[in-house]
Amino acid sequence: MATTSRLKKSPLSAANKGQKTARAALLRYGLPALLLGLPLFLCLLGLALGRYSIPVADVGRILLSPLFPNTAAGVDETAVRLVLRVRLPRTLAALLIGASLGSTGAAFQGIFKNPLVDSNILGVTSGAGFGAALALLLLWPAWLVQTSAFGFGLLAVGLAFFGSRLYRSAPMLVLTLMGILVGSLFGSLTSLLKYVPDPLDTLPAITFWLLGSLASVTWRDLPALVGITAVGAAFLWLVRWRLNVLSLGEAEAITLGTNPTGLKLAIIVAATLMTAVAVAVSGVIGWVGLVIPHAGRILVGPDHRRLIPAGLSLGASFLLLIDLIARTVLPGEVPLGVLTGLIGVPLLIVLLRRNRTGW
Amino acid sequence: MKLEAQNIGFAYTPEVPVLHDVSLSLAEGDVLFLLGRNGSGKTTLLSCLSGIQRPSHGDVLLDSRSLHTYNASERARRIGLIPQLHTPAFAYSVREMVLMGRAPHLSLFGAPSAADRAIADEALENVGLHDLRERPYTEISGGERQLALIARGLAQKCDILLMDEPSAHLDLSNQHRVLEMVDQLARQGLSFIISSHAPNNALSYASRVLLLHRGKVLGYGPPQETLTEALLSKAYGLHTEIIYEHRDGQEQARAVIAKRPFTLPPAALDWPDSPLAQAFAPDAEMPQLFLITGLSGVGKTTWCGELVRLAQQRGLRVAGLWSPAVFADGRKVGIDMVDLHTEEQRRLACLRGKEATAVSTIQWAFDEEVIAWGNHVLAHLPDNDLLVIDELGPLEFLRDEGLLAGLRVLDAGAYRVAAVVIRPSLLPEAQARWPHAQVITPR
Repeated sequence: MATTSRLKKSPLSAANKGQKTARAALLRYGLPALLLGLPLFLCLLGLALGRYSIPVADVGRILLSPLFPNTAAGVDETAVRLVLRVRLPRTLAALLIGASLGSTGAAFQGIFKNPLVDSNILGVTSGAGFGAALALLLLWPAWLVQTSAFGFGLLAVGLAFFGSRLYRSAPMLVLTLMGILVGSLFGSLTSLLKYVPDPLDTLPAITFWLLGSLASVTWRDLPALVGITAVGAAFLWLVRWRLNVLSLGEAEAITLGTNPTGLKLAIIVAATLMTAVAVAVSGVIGWVGLVIPHAGRILVGPDHRRLIPAGLSLGASFLLLIDLIARTVLPGEVPLGVLTGLIGVPLLIVLLRRNRTGW
Repeated sequence: MKLEAQNIGFAYTPEVPVLHDVSLSLAEGDVLFLLGRNGSGKTTLLSCLSGIQRPSHGDVLLDSRSLHTYNASERARRIGLIPQLHTPAFAYSVREMVLMGRAPHLSLFGAPSAADRAIADEALENVGLHDLRERPYTEISGGERQLALIARGLAQKCDILLMDEPSAHLDLSNQHRVLEMVDQLARQGLSFIISSHAPNNALSYASRVLLLHRGKVLGYGPPQETLTEALLSKAYGLHTEIIYEHRDGQEQARAVIAKRPFTLPPAALDWPDSPLAQAFAPDAEMPQLFLITGLSGVGKTTWCGELVRLAQQRGLRVAGLWSPAVFADGRKVGIDMVDLHTEEQRRLACLRGKEATAVSTIQWAFDEEVIAWGNHVLAHLPDNDLLVIDELGPLEFLRDEGLLAGLRVLDAGAYRVAAVVIRPSLLPEAQARWPHAQVITPR
């Protein structure tokens, strides 16, 4: 027995070693390639597929046509218009909003030391929902609806944050509680607003907005979305290793040379701006911020140095995929918020089951 | 002078002060042990000293500059804190955890470099966790997590390391490893403040001890002077004794919880299988020698007193010397010597000086006249059935002083049954001298 096992052992351990270096190489080169390639691939797919399918080669030529007008020669005019006017802004929005929700979810989970929170923990989405509902009720134009959603999103987080400052002890716990309270408050106010309006016209608009959709995204929505998301994501990217230190709690962060209060506030501001602008464009899209960080941890581990990039990439990929499904699989457009829930919840259950090594 | 607390006080809520008027100073190479009961304020004091909390009274100075005027990373490059064991929300690998010790050396947007990883790996090597470095921190044992936190503290490369109960979860060998490492690093100039529940580690490793009691300083100074029986007993609300062990010619103090004195069961002299009963049997071989041994505080003297009482009850003739302790205000302040035949009692030893406490034999002033009297008693013993000598110690065995008449009586075998109190360190010599002796350890 003993001899057999010893005989077996050496080739096995050699194989293990080979496996190990192969794994290290995969981690080093394969993972970044995957994280970069997956959203790009889904973008291309998103541009090509839909009720009206366009060959990928044509999509490429169409994308180049604004720079080199001749490349799109011979491609159907409708396809060009469809890709450039409708699908490109929509795909870019899905990419940015998904990236935003995935990465801010990871950041919030980190600073709250809690793997069960997402970007809505401080009430930004609820606030934005109320802001949009109010604007829709008042029949304001679309850009004002977005502005109102953005503004009330920030207001909700501000209320939660400054409300928590009234208490001296356990700041993060009180902040979580305040976030939940403010979120519930705006949820109730939104329900109140849904009770008031014309049920044939305004009420459906409010309801659809609250369910989330990218169907109405146009180029006009993109500058604010691109600008705020890029700046916020860049900040999260820069402080991503520090998030590890913050996730150990305030006291330990202090003894490890980090001022937790200032840095957390900066991260909350960045993540809130990102989430608010995302929600203002797309409406309420739940589950991405909760599910994606978990998927990311399974793929790259809990180190935020890799988790933030993973959150950006997987969040973008997830929302691109969801939007693709919303547009192609089912007749009519299924609201995104519904799909993220329908797909995200089972996915989360599977991930939690698989991820037995803590979070 | 490096780190200094000046009359600091702290309260989480104004009504309940946790620290009151605590002062200490820590110089290069100092190892300061914080001792005190649960809730006495040790962790809060470490929080104030590490900058987590700002004291509500007084100030903490680092190199004569108020600690809160340092920025977070500047401070953390000087002072590190190894916290009590905790479970983080995320399953970082052991190595990632240790790498976080490099945070004060990195910019806000920075991440550890290869050099930082080398420092972390070296720290892991030092605590013996190198093989576990890729394992999730949440999955290793409590002791291993503790070692990982210590490695993180080492990787932080600061001048002052505060440790909150570092050995709480460690096995014997890892405790030793960590304390030896502390000792070695202190020799290289690092300073340590270690909160602990092990007074004996303080007696062995501390250069200074601060004894906290309900947030106030009960004692502060060198361990041998601070960890007295009186102060330890007060700090822990428990009768504590300091005993001395002799190992390799060195005297090592140890604090022990005083046990309830041993009492000989009343029937011990009547049990047929008891060696004592056999010794007093009419057909027993004479002489019979019993060596009564056990660590200080175990109750050797009490045991002898009980034996004398039992023997006298049975009409046995008892002779020899017995040395009960003299207590005042719950403290041992003297040792008497009693001639068991005449029951004459004299004061053998007093504490040297007013302030001295019963810490070391050096602090006892022995009365040479009483020793001479004791020798006289032993040299002129009446006929007896039981000879008691309490005790024969290093003076007699190692220095040819003290109750030498006792040694002569025993060497000559001029007794029927003898009970002699001997401390454990001298047991081998006594047994070599009287090979027929039987050993009894009161429990």
